[in-house]
Amino acid sequence: MIDSILLVDDEDLFHLVFEDACSLLDMTLSLEALNSSDEADKLFKKWFYEGPKEERPKCVFVDLNIIGSSFDGIELIRKINTEYGNGVVIGIISSSDDHQEIEKAKEVGAQFWIIKSDEIEPRLEDFLRDYDGYVKKTAPFKVYR
Amino acid sequence: MKVTQYTRDVLLEVARQKKIFVEGNFLKLLEAEDGDTEFAEYLQLCKDKDITSRRKRLDVTKQVQSQNKALEKAAERNAALMEDLKVALEQAEKAKTEAEESKAEAEKLRDDAVEDLETLQKKTQFELVGRIVKVALIVIMSVGLITTLLFAYTLVIGRENPILESTWSNLFGILLTNSFSIVGTIMGVKYATGNKD
Repeated sequence: MIDSILLVDDEDLFHLVFEDACSLLDMTLSLEALNSSDEADKLFKKWFYEGPKEERPKCVFVDLNIIGSSFDGIELIRKINTEYGNGVVIGIISSSDDHQEIEKAKEVGAQFWIIKSDEIEPRLEDFLRDYDGYVKKTAPFKVYR
Repeated sequence: MKVTQYTRDVLLEVARQKKIFVEGNFLKLLEAEDGDTEFAEYLQLCKDKDITSRRKRLDVTKQVQSQNKALEKAAERNAALMEDLKVALEQAEKAKTEAEESKAEAEKLRDDAVEDLETLQKKTQFELVGRIVKVALIVIMSVGLITTLLFAYTLVIGRENPILESTWSNLFGILLTNSFSIVGTIMGVKYATGNKD
């Protein structure tokens, strides 16, 4: 089980889907969902400069295109990994399967790419199996289709 | 997490009397004491209910999400159709304007042609009237001249002829009167035609 998860996605309905799927899979007991990458950026900045670092989630799922935000998911991952000390398992959760975007995410340090679909649970189950590898940084980048 | 005897009893009592069960992630933290089968069964029941309700909510949410996507796609299609319709409407408006402009131009050309025709007709009429006037004046002047010459001749040779005298005076009077009448008629017709224009 993952200690805490942060989901950054502009779609409120997906928050519910993700929360229920996580609960049914016993993925975590603590799930926070944000609607914009700016909010997530603020939180990570605060945790990095002011602390407490323990409040940071252990795993972050970021949508690729977050409507109403100043920057997209890939930029958020870059900021977290390069400006705010890294240290979290982070990746993209998106309905896009664009090869170029996947490569860009990989370059900025995303560890996984989960493709959203009606059946998200099997992909989350697979992800959960690989999670320890992501924490230890031993698992390679993977796309969950 | 193990709960106190009091909390355990309250939870079981609330479940029995009010049919209210613990739910959510907090439930996953709760554990029953070893051998407390009643509370263990209660927790299992709570978990089963929680899973069922979450599964239901997940299915409904997915359905709504899928319907939302379909609606978004339909809205996009509608927007595209509306755009096509707008373009078609604009083209129709443009064609209508062009047709109206062509019609106005054709009407102007027709009016010009009618005007030209009327001018031509008037010119022809005017020329005809002019010719008639010329001929009439020539006839009047010729008759007057011939009669005057005849009358003058009789006066010169001293053979006065009363018939010729009265003829000359009558004819001169009649021709003079008629010539003024003709000129008057022509002037009147010209004036009437001028007013009509």
